[in-house]
Amino acid sequence: MSRTASPLAPTTFLRRNAGKTIPLVIVITLAVMLVQSIIALINSIPLSIRTIYGYSSAFLAVSPRLDPSLTPTLVEILKDKPPVEMDRYMLCRGSSAQVKSIVGKWPFAVMAMEPGDLKYYLGRQGVSKIEGRLPQVGAAEMIVSRPVASNLGVKIGTILLKPEDNENFSRKPVKVVGIAETDRWLMLGDKKYYADSQPIPLDFVLAFTKNINEQSKFDYWAEEKLKGQFAQVFAYHQIKKQSEEMFGILYRILNAVILVLVIVITFMMGMLMNIYQTQRLVEFGLLQAIGFTKTQLLKRVISESILVIIGGWIFGLIVARGLLIIAKKVLMDPQAFALETHRPLRWIFRTQWRLRIQSLFLWRFSSWR
Amino acid sequence: MKPVLVADSLSLVYSDHGKEVFACQDISLSVNEGEFVGILGPSGSGKSSLLYLLSGLKNPTSGTVSFEGQNLHSLDDNSRSNLRLRKFGFVFQQPYLLGYLSALENILTVSQDRDFALELLNSLGMKAKANRLPHELSGGERQRVCIARALVNRPSVIFADEPTAALDHKNGKAVVELLNQHRGNGSLVMVTHDISMIEQADRKLTISESRLIP
Ligand SMILES: Nc1ncnc2c1ncn2[C@@H]1O[C@H](COP(=O)(O)OP(=O)(O)OP(=O)(O)O)[C@@H](O)[C@H]1O
Ligand SMILES: [Mg+2]
Repeated sequence: MSRTASPLAPTTFLRRNAGKTIPLVIVITLAVMLVQSIIALINSIPLSIRTIYGYSSAFLAVSPRLDPSLTPTLVEILKDKPPVEMDRYMLCRGSSAQVKSIVGKWPFAVMAMEPGDLKYYLGRQGVSKIEGRLPQVGAAEMIVSRPVASNLGVKIGTILLKPEDNENFSRKPVKVVGIAETDRWLMLGDKKYYADSQPIPLDFVLAFTKNINEQSKFDYWAEEKLKGQFAQVFAYHQIKKQSEEMFGILYRILNAVILVLVIVITFMMGMLMNIYQTQRLVEFGLLQAIGFTKTQLLKRVISESILVIIGGWIFGLIVARGLLIIAKKVLMDPQAFALETHRPLRWIFRTQWRLRIQSLFLWRFSSWR
Repeated sequence: MKPVLVADSLSLVYSDHGKEVFACQDISLSVNEGEFVGILGPSGSGKSSLLYLLSGLKNPTSGTVSFEGQNLHSLDDNSRSNLRLRKFGFVFQQPYLLGYLSALENILTVSQDRDFALELLNSLGMKAKANRLPHELSGGERQRVCIARALVNRPSVIFADEPTAALDHKNGKAVVELLNQHRGNGSLVMVTHDISMIEQADRKLTISESRLIP
């Protein structure tokens, strides 16, 4: 009983009226969770793109357009005075397959290489070890990396490409014989098998810089140099850019939804606070009669409201983060889906912005009396 | 005798659907230091209105109130609030207390002087119940807490608006006696419709139909 804090401290009222304070905090918590879940989902799309196509940051790929016989010319152009030291050029074959993302199926490249190139490539992608073995020369066999295996539910022995499967097509059934341990998403086959089974001999070029940090610099240079050639360039930075454009409209819609949601929630909270405080008019009248100024009473109401809102917010952030982490572990990770659970900066930015609107509303509501 | 509170031709007019209603009409009075002024009047005669004017809670339609020579209505809102907090004490018709604060905490809303607050509770026979919440007290006990709250800042003037209305006669008289005993050097202005409540007053005035009767 020997508290030095004034009995009129905002915390005293909130604590002693827990029956009203707690439901308010819970409503705010739920609202924050809702908003954060939506933001997490939105952020997960670009994260999925970076995750699934991250492998392409390790090299530059160039394929000839229309005329397969152009490939040697393209190699010559790429070898002509590159801005950084190069490590390797290789010729590959390829086909397409599909992987699952949180927003549906996405196309993925199966790349077929000669054994020596394949070993180099695996090293480049940071593969530490392989369960099973590498494909044999000329055999209808392939290896995938661990995330792809989880994503598609593939085990050693699974037939992944089939003649009757339009999305994952191959002339013969292609069996998975190895799983590479790496975070990168990879599907790799044997070049001889592809050469034997594909009627058009279309080789594409992979170019690797000596220093992996300089790959992007080389990619920009090559892109510029190949302008006007019958060549299609695949660089990581393009994939990132294209994907952002691809989902641009979706982002805008979701942002609008969040904005509306935030306005509705803010309004609701303002109303709740207003009802909450209106029940105390007798208290305010009494305090004003015995000598408290309107400003003092208003300050008190506002600090109480802000405490409730900030409390609810922090609580909501913590609970939402916890739930997202659990959702990621339980629902997403088993299929190697990406889920953005931590982008605090972005989140804090949005939070502050919302708080500002909220205090504005509160201020208006409180000044009505 | 030095006057602390002087009212000069106070009027308060309410407008009731465009019709003017006088709650107070041309009231002049002065309250001396340490004096107990009892004002008697029937219901609706303007007693509460007069107290609101004297204590600066309401602005008069015409006339002035000065406290220690200062015109209350020339002060801005904040200074007037401050004056009420430090120099005036209030006891209302109903024993209004903040329900989520204990008896002692209710007194400490207006003062930091914990020792004096406890001393007052003690002399009002409430020490043992200092930590109870208002709903754990009887009406008379609650009104005693209100008295302690009104006295804790050692006010120059205490305003009491029928502080006994919520109590039975015996308890009502006891409350008035306590208020009178413990007001120290403060003046007491009490309005009531029950003459026996102001037996101890130094001066008794009567208000009827919004006017003081000479
Ligand atoms: N806000 C108001 N608007 C209009 N008329 C009012 C208002 N407040 C009070 N009155 C009128 O002013 C007159 C005096 O009211 P007041 O409350 O001062 O009486 P009172 O003597 O305190 O009565 P009671 O003993 O019942 O408390 C009454 O006729 C009342 O109807
Ligand atoms: Mg009255």
